[in-house]
Amino acid sequence: MSNRDVSRRSFLQGGLVAGVTVSLVPLANKAFAALKEKSVTMPSEQWLGSNGKARSRNDALSKVCGGKVFARDIRAKDMPGWPEQQGHAMLLKITKADHIYAGMDLSWLGTELQPDRIVTAEDLANDGIAFPQAHGPDPLLPVGQVPMFIGHPVAMLIWNDFERFRQAKVKLQFNDKAIRYGAKAPLYQTDPYGSFRYVRVGGATSADEDEFASLKDSILFPMLRNRRPVWDSQPDLHGDLTERGLYYADRMKQQMDSPPDNWLVFDERYKTPSIEPAALEPDNGNGWYDAASKTLHFVVATQCPLEAATETAKMIAPSKFALDNLKMHPGYTVGYGSKDHNIFVYYAALAALYGGGVPVRLANDRYEQFQSGIKRHPFDIRYQLAVDKTDNSFKIFRAEMSVDGGGRANYSSSVAAVGATAAQSIYYMPQNDLQVTAYHSRAVEAGSMRGYGTLQSMASTEMMVDEIADRLGIDAIDLRKKNAMVSGMKNTQGAIPAGAIRLHEILDKAATHEVWKNRHALKQQREAQDPDHWHGVGFAICQKDFGTGSEAPMASVEFNADGHISLRHIGIEIGTGMSTSQALIVSDFLGSPASEVKTGETEWDELQLTTGGDPYTMSQAEQNDYLRDPRWVGKLGSASSASNSAYYFSHATREAARIVFNHGLWPAALHIWSQGPYGGQANPYVVRREDANWVDGQLTANGMQPLSFAQLAKHAHDMGLVTGATVHGFNRWSWAESEFDIGKTRVRLPLDGLAVKYGDGAASDRKAQMNSAGFHLLDRKTVHYPDVQLNNAAVTYYSPVATLVELKVNKGSGEVQVLNHHSWIECGRVLVEELVKGQLEGGVAMGIGHALMEEMPLYEGGPGEGNWNFNRYRLPRARDVAVWKQTSEILPPLSRSDPAKGIAEVVMIPVVGAIGNAVAHAIGKRVRDLPLTSARIKEALNG
Amino acid sequence: MKHPLLRTAMAVGLAASGVFAHAETQVERGEYLTRAADCMACHTAKGGAPYAGGLPIDSPFGTIYGTNITPSKDHGIGLYNDDEFFAALNEGIRRDGANLYPAMPYTSYHRVTREDSDAIHAYLKTVEPIERAAPETSLGFPFNVRMGITAWNLLYGDGVPLESAEGKSEAWQRGQYLVDVLGHCGECHTPRGMTGAMQPDKRMMGAVLGGYLAPSLLANDLAERGWNQDDLSSFLKLGMSDQGAMFNEMYPVFHNSTQYLADPDLNAIATFLLGEQPPEAKVLTEVALDELSTSAQRGRQQYLNVCAGCHAVSGEGKPHIAVAMRGNTTLRLDDPRNLLRVIEDGIDEQQFTGFERMQPMPGFADKLDQQELTDLLNYLRQTWGGTDSDLALADVQALQQEAGSE
Amino acid sequence: MASRSLQLTLNGKSVDPADIPDDLLMIDYLHEYKNLTGSRLGCGQGICHACVVIVDNPDGTSEEVRTCITGAHYFAGKRVRTIEGHAIRDEEGKVSQLNPIQQRFVDEFAFQCSYCAPGFVNAATVLVEKLQRQPVAKSQLEKVVEDSLGHHICRCTGYVRYFSATRNVLTELGLVREG
Repeated sequence: MSNRDVSRRSFLQGGLVAGVTVSLVPLANKAFAALKEKSVTMPSEQWLGSNGKARSRNDALSKVCGGKVFARDIRAKDMPGWPEQQGHAMLLKITKADHIYAGMDLSWLGTELQPDRIVTAEDLANDGIAFPQAHGPDPLLPVGQVPMFIGHPVAMLIWNDFERFRQAKVKLQFNDKAIRYGAKAPLYQTDPYGSFRYVRVGGATSADEDEFASLKDSILFPMLRNRRPVWDSQPDLHGDLTERGLYYADRMKQQMDSPPDNWLVFDERYKTPSIEPAALEPDNGNGWYDAASKTLHFVVATQCPLEAATETAKMIAPSKFALDNLKMHPGYTVGYGSKDHNIFVYYAALAALYGGGVPVRLANDRYEQFQSGIKRHPFDIRYQLAVDKTDNSFKIFRAEMSVDGGGRANYSSSVAAVGATAAQSIYYMPQNDLQVTAYHSRAVEAGSMRGYGTLQSMASTEMMVDEIADRLGIDAIDLRKKNAMVSGMKNTQGAIPAGAIRLHEILDKAATHEVWKNRHALKQQREAQDPDHWHGVGFAICQKDFGTGSEAPMASVEFNADGHISLRHIGIEIGTGMSTSQALIVSDFLGSPASEVKTGETEWDELQLTTGGDPYTMSQAEQNDYLRDPRWVGKLGSASSASNSAYYFSHATREAARIVFNHGLWPAALHIWSQGPYGGQANPYVVRREDANWVDGQLTANGMQPLSFAQLAKHAHDMGLVTGATVHGFNRWSWAESEFDIGKTRVRLPLDGLAVKYGDGAASDRKAQMNSAGFHLLDRKTVHYPDVQLNNAAVTYYSPVATLVELKVNKGSGEVQVLNHHSWIECGRVLVEELVKGQLEGGVAMGIGHALMEEMPLYEGGPGEGNWNFNRYRLPRARDVAVWKQTSEILPPLSRSDPAKGIAEVVMIPVVGAIGNAVAHAIGKRVRDLPLTSARIKEALNG
Repeated sequence: MKHPLLRTAMAVGLAASGVFAHAETQVERGEYLTRAADCMACHTAKGGAPYAGGLPIDSPFGTIYGTNITPSKDHGIGLYNDDEFFAALNEGIRRDGANLYPAMPYTSYHRVTREDSDAIHAYLKTVEPIERAAPETSLGFPFNVRMGITAWNLLYGDGVPLESAEGKSEAWQRGQYLVDVLGHCGECHTPRGMTGAMQPDKRMMGAVLGGYLAPSLLANDLAERGWNQDDLSSFLKLGMSDQGAMFNEMYPVFHNSTQYLADPDLNAIATFLLGEQPPEAKVLTEVALDELSTSAQRGRQQYLNVCAGCHAVSGEGKPHIAVAMRGNTTLRLDDPRNLLRVIEDGIDEQQFTGFERMQPMPGFADKLDQQELTDLLNYLRQTWGGTDSDLALADVQALQQEAGSE
Repeated sequence: MASRSLQLTLNGKSVDPADIPDDLLMIDYLHEYKNLTGSRLGCGQGICHACVVIVDNPDGTSEEVRTCITGAHYFAGKRVRTIEGHAIRDEEGKVSQLNPIQQRFVDEFAFQCSYCAPGFVNAATVLVEKLQRQPVAKSQLEKVVEDSLGHHICRCTGYVRYFSATRNVLTELGLVREG
């Protein structure tokens, strides 16, 4: 699988990057609060209910009172030590992609409004700015070149005060008067961002060995020539991996082209729109470069603070701007993926750098956000699915997908790959050939917007399956049940998904839902009552992968002798409630949640980690070699996304808390229970750790006297037991495992880095071992890393969601109104039910937008021209989402030990397919291009 | 049939036009003509199935409901034959022999050709029959007596008189057929007398309807307000032009009818309205603040407070968001009524063609007092409207009272 | 650009007259001149309603006004409440009491990123105040909530919790009568 984060090979150790000391203190953090005597989060006493459940988000108070929560809220005067004066910057952009850029002309602004500083490509080159390669080339378009895309920035304009900035910006907005165009020229061209082919030919059953599969053999990579993917190899059953793969692909095509009589071969195209994430907080940053102290202070909205910090440091380090310190302050933010791996951060850093000592704020307004903010990739899909009409089983699945990545390389390559590997939705495909290519275009850059390719492919698959059921004349849920995967079955890459697959549970529930059972009668009845509308019912289901195949969470859990629990975490709160849920996870082991949570932590000196190599592309030998170094890990830290937080972030928190319990609290409890002659109260009973239980904040096991956490904490400290643990994990569709000696016990843990802290009463030799930033750094005694071949699995973690939709279509306008919907979700253990439901409700709303409303032209007339806003781009409002009626159901976990699964993306997907299917049920025609606007529906009806 | 030659000429003109080159079948022709005649305007309720009726039409005599003209046999016109349909369209006579209420513009439709009538009927037979009766219209005396309408009909028995087409181009003639006959534009733009009938001597001179002025469509008046043929035809096609965007009653006309017309027909309309030799469109230059009246100068702050956020400080508007004040035709009407009404009532969100969707304009009735309103009107009209005279507070109060009493 | 003196009351405190540009939008005044950033810029065009503040009219009524399309001088002499002004704070500046809408939004997890929260809080607060003058019939309850919050955009949580929380507050405060 392709590299999802090319730029994250950064090396961050002891906060030092390219000679720059990097510190990352989120605005929401206590450390920042200490500076400002303000804090975004509340201590747990305030948000935790007596039942041990969250009463509210721990950041709710600040948020509901209009506190300075977002980076966007920060002005220079809010920042301790900054000068009070606040400068403002904007990017000047070229909006015709078919002309040479011949320079700019600002003279018409008049003398009064001239920018105080203009930064051009020439300046960046002269000043030695090493702009992050992953976001290059040409952050500012040099004179004499044709733009890479509509809206390519040509200059940064900086004013030292707000008033002149405001007035100048009004004049510069909605026109390109400042741009001088040269000759007309051919559009900028470059090779596709990525191209992949996933071929699998299974054995007689899923359990039999695959004849060929990506996991077992290889993903196929074409050559890129003349801006297109081409295959140089010839199909050959006895050739190399590619030749063999092509042989099977070829065989599938032949079977599809001349199918046996009992096959139905479905062959249709689907198109999905470019979507504006519309995170309400537009991209922004505010920085102050202090030349005297060689320090850049930088407040920024980002979903990947670690990457942003390291890349900012590396960008500036070689330049003429001396930099010893980068002090970065990420705010709470919102992005749905659009603030991950975002070029904007570096423009904002440059604005600060060129501020001449004045703090400079670069903050998009909504027009600018439409113009340059990262979009969801539009897909153009051809699906072919062969079905055996005698038993309705799927036989061969082929897909050809083109993905428009827009004008800059972002995650297009991996979005394409993830989209293709998700195309199967929930179905077992005995054979598949999935081809996908992500192309450059002059559209606005597309990136990791919520769904990550899977929304596009799975919603289409769900519409396809529904249509096939129609063609076969059978119930669409019956067809799904026939073909849905069951536990242990392989996916289209030949990998077996994690854990139990509970799709049939959901399908059974849906099949017996009154609305589904009676859908045809309902339609008839409602249309008789309401002759102005057609009514329809539609269903869809999918399971969405979560994770990137290279996840590296870090967490540290610690308690003091007074029973105060603190949690440090690498994850950053992006508004999804991550800090609330992580604080709660601690209570599984410590009986109470962490009362203090620090997120976005970057200083993990105690682990002394090193990394190197690319976890996606390294060979097995390379990995084995690296693993000789007990400090080496496959990756230092994960990015933050909502899907990641539930599962991967929880992993680190749980493991840290588990260690503190097993090696601190539990031995302390045993000690207390065993006090007295003959082993005290514990002696008559058998006391087992697996029977340990926290009841109302007190620990008991096998009938032992309940002990309060405070009492245990004090005792553990007195005894010098383990009172803190910092952990690092690595996941490549499977966790790295290591053995460590904690005290005299050797333990095998799903971790690859561990440091512990001993209590206040620890013996001096113990204390002496705590010489790694206050921790005792433990060596891995043995380590087992996931094989690099697992990269080809592409996906193993799934959460399923299904949605049933009722809607009506107006006979005159063709407008669709969603009347009601019901969703089923299986997400393992639920951390905070309200957060899960909120995610689901929000996801469904976003899905409704994708399915019915949100659309804009990709190129000319599109957002790149800088005049788009929410009037033309329609976002769902309450009236569009069945706000009073919608319902949902969370499947209970199999047991309390179910992991919490990521659901942030999957929740928005099935509603899209369900709407497509419901519209088809309503109007009797299939519309395969999204969104299903009134224009498309009318066209389908008239055509 | 007073002008048989004229009618033949027009029919030929239309049939030969580019529009019908790709309207191959009678039904396709009929669909196009149904759009041009804007049957939907009255025969489709808001949010209702097409042509199923039920739209309440306020008239000075009471509420008239658009009827169901889908091919439903029980509730629509499913039992009509072509002759009966033609009689209804041209003469206002129902299948059962009763007179239609004159809300049906049969005096305009009087000159619709039989061929076009048959085509419209052919199309209407293809729409989905909606089995629902439109609400019964009940009018006050004497209009509740359908026989009373006969008297009304005497005034216009032969339909709206048309200007002679002698010596006019084919485009002009086509334009006349589209404007005066199919489009029945005069139904709103021509003032009505006491009986409710259009005043023949004031053809297209503008009329007040529902508190808004349907402005004069006379060539000189249009030119005075900044219209040329190109802008006028693209205004009809797109609902917007440099002169502003359609609002109030004209918006549904655009939405249901004019946007569907082919370019040659739109040009024909512009040719007919502005004449074969159109008068020069008047260009206004912006008047500087210090040349405005005291009231208008005060009004500038009102403009900055509540208008400039969308229409921009310098009045150029915001693309795809809000129209420009500079060059705006509504500011140039002598009668300030529409400007006042729009400011007080606001405009709902309006979908134009493609991705054009103007954001809703809030109403400011309760945000500005009468003096502030007066100042604002003076600022707008004097800066961009080409007038140098002040409205007095009393003028505005009078207009408000008039609107309030409706 | 010309300027003129502006005096208004912000969150109960009279703001001393100061020279403010004629054409300054209220949101810029709040953000850049008063450092009150809680009223958030979402669309800058009056569409999303994240920026609304409350104006208290002399007749005791209150209303929402969008600050991103309204000039600062529109508010001259007016009494304005922003999102920062609702909660009661103790001497140290810590929140001791939220207004009923704020409290319920917190309790029901109504928002996620909270960027739209100022608009929803203010709109719902205005609704509470309106119904305190004239309670709503039960049959109209959902409709008044829709009319009050229906224009607001939220991209995270899909409106459900905002709407139900508002409905619950109205009911609990006794602002819903039978009928």
